[in-house]
Amino acid sequence: MAWAILSLSSCTGILSGIYDDPEQETRITRAGQLYLDASDWTQWHYIDFKDLVDKTEADPAFDSSSLWETFPIPMPDRGSAVENTEPAGTPSGIYTYWYDVFGVGIEKREFNSFSPTEKQAEPSKWSIAIHRNNVRTNGGSAWRSPYRSFDEMPSGTDWLDNVIFSEDEWNQTDVWTVQDRMLLGLAGNQGIKINNLLGQWLTMKIPPMPPVFTHDKSVYVLRLSDGSYAALQLADYVNSAGTKCHLTINYRYPL
Amino acid sequence: MINRTIIISDSENIFKLFLSFCCLFCALSSSSQNEMETDSLYNFLMNLDEVVVTGTRVPRLLKDTPIQTRVISAKEIERSDATDIQDLLSQIMPGVEFSYAMNQQTHMNFGGFGGQSVLFLIDGERLAGETMDDVDFSRIDMNNVERIEVVRGASSALYGSSAGGGVINIITKRASKKWRADLQFRNGRHGNRRYMVCLDNKFRRFSNSLSATAYRNDSYDVKNGPEPVARVISTIYGHRMISVREKLMYTPVENLKLSGRVAFYMKELPRDIDMPERYRSYSGGLKGEWLISGDDRLEISYAFDQYDKSQYRRSSGAEYRNYSNVQNSIRAFWTHSFSSGDILSAGADYMRDWLSNSKLIDENKIQNNLDAFLQYDWRVNERWEIVGAARYDWFSEGRLSRVTPKISACYSPVRSLRLRVAYGLGFRAPTLKEKYYEFDMAGIWIVKGNPDLKPEQCNNVDLSAEYTRRNYNFTASVSYNNVRNRIATGLPHAEPSEPNQLYLDYINLDSYESVGAELSAQAAWNCGISARLSYAWTYEKNIRDKEGNTFNSQYMPPRPYSLTANINWNKFISKNYSLNLGVNGRVLSGVVNSEYKDYYDISAGVTDVRYPPYTLWKFSVTQTFFERFKISATLDNLFNYRPKYYYMNTPLTDGISFIVSVGITI
Repeated sequence: MAWAILSLSSCTGILSGIYDDPEQETRITRAGQLYLDASDWTQWHYIDFKDLVDKTEADPAFDSSSLWETFPIPMPDRGSAVENTEPAGTPSGIYTYWYDVFGVGIEKREFNSFSPTEKQAEPSKWSIAIHRNNVRTNGGSAWRSPYRSFDEMPSGTDWLDNVIFSEDEWNQTDVWTVQDRMLLGLAGNQGIKINNLLGQWLTMKIPPMPPVFTHDKSVYVLRLSDGSYAALQLADYVNSAGTKCHLTINYRYPL
Repeated sequence: MINRTIIISDSENIFKLFLSFCCLFCALSSSSQNEMETDSLYNFLMNLDEVVVTGTRVPRLLKDTPIQTRVISAKEIERSDATDIQDLLSQIMPGVEFSYAMNQQTHMNFGGFGGQSVLFLIDGERLAGETMDDVDFSRIDMNNVERIEVVRGASSALYGSSAGGGVINIITKRASKKWRADLQFRNGRHGNRRYMVCLDNKFRRFSNSLSATAYRNDSYDVKNGPEPVARVISTIYGHRMISVREKLMYTPVENLKLSGRVAFYMKELPRDIDMPERYRSYSGGLKGEWLISGDDRLEISYAFDQYDKSQYRRSSGAEYRNYSNVQNSIRAFWTHSFSSGDILSAGADYMRDWLSNSKLIDENKIQNNLDAFLQYDWRVNERWEIVGAARYDWFSEGRLSRVTPKISACYSPVRSLRLRVAYGLGFRAPTLKEKYYEFDMAGIWIVKGNPDLKPEQCNNVDLSAEYTRRNYNFTASVSYNNVRNRIATGLPHAEPSEPNQLYLDYINLDSYESVGAELSAQAAWNCGISARLSYAWTYEKNIRDKEGNTFNSQYMPPRPYSLTANINWNKFISKNYSLNLGVNGRVLSGVVNSEYKDYYDISAGVTDVRYPPYTLWKFSVTQTFFERFKISATLDNLFNYRPKYYYMNTPLTDGISFIVSVGITI
């Protein structure tokens, strides 16, 4: 026993080999998979599938972990007007709500204030945009298939003719952007159209606190505005450091 | 005012309850005085023949120790049916409460001191690792524990940093029989299962003790009422735990004992089903105890302790470690007994503390700690005993050094009465985490370390009186603490360069005072009944930061009044059958906490938030057949207390629970 203790003990500990090395964590360098750090609360990341496929086909070893464009969420100018009544229509801006984060949960909420902002900037070409667990489409729509992998899907697109796709809808309560008063239960949300169905691939639930994320590995089918289709699957949503909203997305385009 | 009135009413009720029980004690004791047989029976029942080591680091009989020590015996531990130290202390010790963070990490409040100021030892050795400033309490399981010694008050003169509020020393069992095997299984609600195994054997000069515990319970949701006044918990997380301890002893010659130990612990906490957290510890140690002569004794030991935290990914099967704390310690301790009965003790320790934490600036940090201490136990005469101790500590981090003295006096005017007074200086060096932490808390703010922190310091005065007569014992104690530079996270603030980013820095608070008192009564009758009642009162003066702002701790304040009660009846019905009935309860007053109305604008002031009182009771029946087979049935939360709101200091129960356990001793 003495020998065992003396030989095993170390100033920096023992048995570190039972853990995986984050440095060795492989990141995406193959066609058909995309890795995206979408954890920033204040940015939308835009992906154009046509561009993505063109580049990865031209060079299969291309690192697709950088094939997106990022645009910040517009914030109100300092000292700009804050309205305490809910605006009519759907003007761009930050909609602040009080959420019962530390009580019964975020389903219970009350409008607090509104600050107008510029419209969300975006690139000239894009298919989907991602902000943490929120997803937007560029005039597209989405459907959740019963399949768990691309190989299970029928070939072609005829089988999608009778499927009901869901379009983006206006939302002013889920795109959490401003958290600097979160301890009071106040969160500022960007008012913007998002695709609620596609966003179901990763949902956040409060309570409990800290939030729990539910990951749906279903294959989602995206119908783009030009009538082409893409298949998407969220393969993982955490990086090696345990930070959520680091998304690994499997994609197939076009179908 | 209303809140204060309610608190006072809580206190009156709890104190009345205590007095009522005491009257019952006296009535029972006077009626059974004649039945009491001998002092030795009394000593046995009251644990007074128990040897304790924590108060002076020198083995002393509990009845003779000059330092007030509360011993929780193996019998009490068994009757409490506790799985770990948190479970045990919350049942048995008044003034000890465990509260929670939002993610249900546990924080202890020990008579006004947080877990970071109370030193937990297993067989005299420190534990590595912390979460929310506390050790991992589920790591200290109650399997094969001989006794637990609790010394309140500043003990840094013997134990160094982090012993400002006291020391809790868990003493594990040594094999005492040629062969013994204990097996136990327990089953309860919410998938609660516990398996315990102990194997002891002695062979010539060798003895060996192996114990293993496996525990699991499931997560479950609880409902809260409308409009809670503070944050609430909605899911109570379960966990799985396994712990194995092995202790081998070898006595080559009569005056030399060598021992080695190894232990492994692992807990999995599936707060997130996809990514359960895992906690592991590995520890080992070697110790030599040499009785050089009848008067001189030398102890040399080496201890290794490692505590890791990691996250397992179910989807990929990968496991990433994000925290590791490794402590290597070498200790030497010598005592010399004089013919007059005086004892001189001296010791020195070296500890290397390595911390790797992904939330730490530079990730890896090392700290070396060297210390030396001296203690003289002076038996002035048959009535007076005075113990003086002083210790010098040096820390490589910040080249910090500190001298901590302690002096205690014990006076016995008559055999049945012992009066004790002690003054001690406690201190706590800033931890590596408190100096170099940088943790982004979900975008809300960044908790940031402060390399310029000063050590916490606590001037502590304890007074106690212990009256022991025939089959009953009363203890009263009062403690006063003046705490300087307490380390805590301060107010949220933004840097001018980053107006939207809030920081929560570790700071030193302004001086404050706290006072505590404890009354305890215990009795044992040879009809098989034994009982213990304890009542505690804790008062903390308003705590402020150096700028005079009211301090809003991230932890819950102590409840001012609390009471614990334990009554047992043990009866041998026949030669091969005995019955034990036990009632165990605790009553805790409500507590008012001053909390900021607006965390981002402290000028808005504070509001008093009242957390309600509660009481929990447990009734158990244990039947023992042939002194080998045991069957226990327990009704936990006997009065079916269901909290209306699960605040951070609410007990995590959702009502009455039926627990069955079976055990066999071979």
